[in-house]
Amino acid sequence: MTARRVPLTGLPPRLPGLRLVLPLALIVPLGFAITNIARTGQLDPGPMDLAVAFVALVAVASAALAVSGYRGDPLIFPVAATIGGLGLVMLNRLPQQPLGLNLFGVELGMAATQLVWFCLGVTVMLVIALRLRDDGFLRHFKYTWALAGALLLVITFLFGREVNGARLWLYLGPFGFQSGEAIKVSLVVFIAGYLAENRRVLAGASLRLGRLRLPPVPYLVPLVAVFVAVMLVVVISRDLGTALLFLGIFLTMLFVATGRRSYVLMGLLLFVAGSLVAYQLFGHVRVRVDNWIDPFVDPTGAGYQTVQALYAFGRGGLFGSGLGQGLPMVGGHLPIPALPTDFIFAGIAEELGLIGAAGLLGLMLVLVVRGLRVAMLARDDFSAMLAVGLTLSLGLQTLIIAAGNLKLIPLTGITFPFVSYGGSSLLASFAVVGLLLSISHRTALAVAAEGAPDQ
Amino acid sequence: MIATNVRRLARYLVLAFAALWLGLGWWQVLEAPRLAARPDNPEVIAARRSALRGTIFDADGQVLASSVVIDGISRRTYGDPAFGHVVGYASLRYGTTGVEQAWDDLLTGRSDPNPLTDLVNDILDRDPQPRDLTLTIDRRLQDFAAAQLGTGVGAVVAIDPSTGAILAMVSTPTFDATGFSGDPTAAEAAWLALADVPNHPLLDRTRRGHYTPGSVLKILTAAAALDSGVITPQTTYPDQPAQETDGFVVSGFTIREHPLGEVAPALWPLSPALQVSSNIFFAHVGLDLGEGRFLDYARRFGFCAPLRIGSAERFLAVDASYVSGRTDDGCASFIDRVELANAAYGQARTEVTPTQMALLAATVANGGLMPSPFVVRDVRVHAGDPLAGPDGRVLESYAGDLRRVIGSEAAADLRTAMVDAVHGELGRRYAGAGAVTLYGISGVLTAGKTGTAERGGGLAPHAWFIGFAPAQDGATPAIAIAVIVEGGLSGSVGAAPIGGAVMAEWLRLLGSGAG
Repeated sequence: MTARRVPLTGLPPRLPGLRLVLPLALIVPLGFAITNIARTGQLDPGPMDLAVAFVALVAVASAALAVSGYRGDPLIFPVAATIGGLGLVMLNRLPQQPLGLNLFGVELGMAATQLVWFCLGVTVMLVIALRLRDDGFLRHFKYTWALAGALLLVITFLFGREVNGARLWLYLGPFGFQSGEAIKVSLVVFIAGYLAENRRVLAGASLRLGRLRLPPVPYLVPLVAVFVAVMLVVVISRDLGTALLFLGIFLTMLFVATGRRSYVLMGLLLFVAGSLVAYQLFGHVRVRVDNWIDPFVDPTGAGYQTVQALYAFGRGGLFGSGLGQGLPMVGGHLPIPALPTDFIFAGIAEELGLIGAAGLLGLMLVLVVRGLRVAMLARDDFSAMLAVGLTLSLGLQTLIIAAGNLKLIPLTGITFPFVSYGGSSLLASFAVVGLLLSISHRTALAVAAEGAPDQ
Repeated sequence: MIATNVRRLARYLVLAFAALWLGLGWWQVLEAPRLAARPDNPEVIAARRSALRGTIFDADGQVLASSVVIDGISRRTYGDPAFGHVVGYASLRYGTTGVEQAWDDLLTGRSDPNPLTDLVNDILDRDPQPRDLTLTIDRRLQDFAAAQLGTGVGAVVAIDPSTGAILAMVSTPTFDATGFSGDPTAAEAAWLALADVPNHPLLDRTRRGHYTPGSVLKILTAAAALDSGVITPQTTYPDQPAQETDGFVVSGFTIREHPLGEVAPALWPLSPALQVSSNIFFAHVGLDLGEGRFLDYARRFGFCAPLRIGSAERFLAVDASYVSGRTDDGCASFIDRVELANAAYGQARTEVTPTQMALLAATVANGGLMPSPFVVRDVRVHAGDPLAGPDGRVLESYAGDLRRVIGSEAAADLRTAMVDAVHGELGRRYAGAGAVTLYGISGVLTAGKTGTAERGGGLAPHAWFIGFAPAQDGATPAIAIAVIVEGGLSGSVGAAPIGGAVMAEWLRLLGSGAG
């Protein structure tokens, strides 16, 4: 099945979608104002330039979609932007000093830096959503994408910079990015391409061994080989969070393509076995797991961040302490050093309470459900599988990091999509949204074309 | 078909997000109170910094510890270094110890003695109300005991035998906690200076000092043997007189007597054996008791497990004392008969705390009923002006309870032998210095026992004394005591005089209307 070539622009604009940006226009400035009032103790909203810039950015992007005749899912971008807005409010509330970007000699605070990345991310999203006429270059060159991802991985492994015991950062001059984010997207493209092509074989045929029905192993080999190679490097780089995420995406996509739970089951069995081995072999895995079982054994050492995160959840309670009024400083520092990145969910839960944190998860769930809806409506297997994989890359990542914060699973350092501080994560997340928008848009146009009697 | 699977996937993902919501509810609602009470929670630390802390008074209403808030930072002042260990300290930087630690929730007002008030305060979001504590210890006796120890290294623990109220609890060398609990800018220097003081001033020897008891443990052996009927006050061992000079061979190991000086060996029953502190006699008693009964009685007296001074909710923890090797859950079995025989007179792997030995003396004094010790007498409403004394409103008061450990007859027999050990013809030369009559109290008998704990390695032995007074028939003992002086040479010289003087001081204070 080949993609239908359709005009992407030049359609009459649709403006009602713009309404969905309105709540955001309220939330972000209000969050900034509350933070400033709590900080200064005076009834003064404080500087609003970042808030206004963010709202303007989202409004312009929405308008660009509307004016260009975007016909796809109307909720995905506004919801993603709202999630990002909450993150920006939180980052603006944190001390701005230690982190930030130096842009042409101007020292930017953390929130300002994040806003710069928002601009880049939204631009990337718009380019993908509005200019991607055809996904052929994705589907036909799936091995190329896999190779590009693998190459990036190897380069990172060889030349990357080590941060917190894991080698995840690739530096080009002064600009660093976490290559795992780009690899994630290219891996999803590869798996989607492979599964779309082979899913009937994988779902239907099976090797019979007596009464046992085994999966058609030969057809799985290329897929598993690429995946295992990626996983190996990721695991060696000690990036446990990304490893878990990749495995989750892989198994879930396999399940969606074939409908066979046995794949997932086998994968999970292998995962459990691998985890047990890793626990025995690697100190850093052992530390994570022991720390998960009882962080209070070493509350000032290995368990420090986990324990402090739990305290933050506890302090927040049902309604939260209010922006700028939680997160007591310990010796002039945040109680949780990795608060802007790995533990931002705990910070939001403290200041906005269970209501706010549950709401944030709810927004993410809306995004996930809309993404899956794009997959269900998609007109061809590749688009459907791609939409599933992209949605999972956001949804599973949220589940893994939030569950890690909540001590439901061992903590692994990955970002909360759209919320955590970090440019690579934002760029990748908006690229994912851009791809989802483009699939959705093309589907809508195809449906319209089929429905039109004179075509 | 993909669409069907996607729908199934959506259902699973909704379930997964629901699990996160449950997780949020667990930590933010259900577990939140428990997390909020943990002392290393930054919120708790921040609250401590600025919160007023309750006052600690002695039994007589004298201020021992009080706080003021200056520039939003709570500073604590301690009035009497003699109370350094029992009161402990509450330092923002260096943590809390002693009563300050165990009663921290009441002193800070984090919780209220009345759970209902607690709930109401929580619902109304009221500010914490600090509470004041009154100790059972009279500052005059505590200071006197500290002065008696002087520059020596050691400990004194005194208990009211009939109630369990702690009367004195001194460990030397001591320290002044004001330096590192008051002005935060000076805290570090004051704390570091402590490191230069010899003999570990921060160690609370009353509760955490582990000492070989030597002969004072014979009181435990005798109590067990008398109560179980293994011996009577008249029981003798025919081989004993010869063994006093030749040694007592147990499983190939020869137990030797300590130098008896001018005392000629004879066939001794309990009283003279206790007076001269015959190791041979008590080795026989220990072997006759056997491992099972010996360990059983040791446990009844509180050995082999940590002790608590206070209630089940709030207490000062006392390290476990041992009559044999230590295991994770108490006293080990004896390796052989040699160890049992040596333990029976307080050597081998025996290891005790001064608090445990004071309780042993108090139990004998109280006719075999062991009191449960307590050091905080009551909790009161915070007094606005501490120097004007405690507030009249008592929120909760404590009292110990009593537990029968040995029969009253066995206790009476043992008391007689211990009185002989102080006043008897033979005993006088050992424990005579423990008699309160030497310190200006007339008409009162004293019961006591000295101990000299060999340390080996050429180190001077530790000096022990345990005892109680008044100990004559029909009198109710008012004080039981344990004294240890590290390297004090012998119990007679190093410890008994301190024991006698402190007991005499208490009887004097009682006579003048204290307590």
